[in-house]
Amino acid sequence: MAEFGPSSLASYLIVAGILFAAGVLAIATRRNAIGVLIGLELMFNAAALQFTAYGRFRAGAPDPQGQIAAVFVVVAAAAEAAVALALLFAVYRTSKDVDLEATRELRS
Amino acid sequence: MIETLLFAGCALCAIAGALGAALVKNLFHAALLLGLALVGTAGLYLFLEAQWLACVQVVVYVGGILVLILFATLFSTDILGAVQRAPWSVRMAGWLGAVLAGGVAWRLVQVVLAEARHLDRTRSAPGVADPLTTSGGAAAGNVLLSSWFVPFLATGLLLTVALVAAVATVQRFRRPANGGSEAIRG
Repeated sequence: MAEFGPSSLASYLIVAGILFAAGVLAIATRRNAIGVLIGLELMFNAAALQFTAYGRFRAGAPDPQGQIAAVFVVVAAAAEAAVALALLFAVYRTSKDVDLEATRELRS
Repeated sequence: MIETLLFAGCALCAIAGALGAALVKNLFHAALLLGLALVGTAGLYLFLEAQWLACVQVVVYVGGILVLILFATLFSTDILGAVQRAPWSVRMAGWLGAVLAGGVAWRLVQVVLAEARHLDRTRSAPGVADPLTTSGGAAAGNVLLSSWFVPFLATGLLLTVALVAAVATVQRFRRPANGGSEAIRG
């Protein structure tokens, strides 16, 4: 087993794996739409961390393309957050709450 | 030694923040713990020599998305999590989700540990390459504006479309100007 530290790829991957699992946990167990959104952001974050770690520890020389992929992940997360919050606003206007179990429709 | 301690601190921040964000009942606290996880990840980016990415993480994620989520908690009537007792099916689904997440975490850690020796053999030796040309912000900028230029422009288009769509979605549900409380039917 690799030693735990900043120069071992395994430690970054384990942190990313736990972040991803926490995101799955939040999405699967939260009833509130904002809780689900938080879980989504955690999963995005874990993916970006993996991209960067693999790019840094690429065989041969570090590859900056891992960072580029992570930046695209951040942009996708920003767009997703904007659209999701607009939808939350719409749901709130029709049903006065953002509980996913109670929400049945978008049209009032 | 001090580097390992700092790394362990960042990793601990990320893991504790993520688990807290997933488990804490209070939604407002969950959003704040998400911020802790995001800042911890930004610290890990510093160890990966991605200083520019760490800045982007703090500015966009913590400064933008997290503030949006905190703002959105105002829409929830159940921020404190003091719900009327959830029905049996929902609680079972929650336990199922927890088991699923535990399985995902266990499998990921298992795979990483099994591959750890191989991964360490293929890792690039730190400090061998010129840091200005192969890592850091300058290299990332060069790659972004050469081989990734079209996807870069496409993300600009994506952001524009997403923002316009968000505004259009909210506009449909705007209150009428005469003060009526009913939402405009879409």
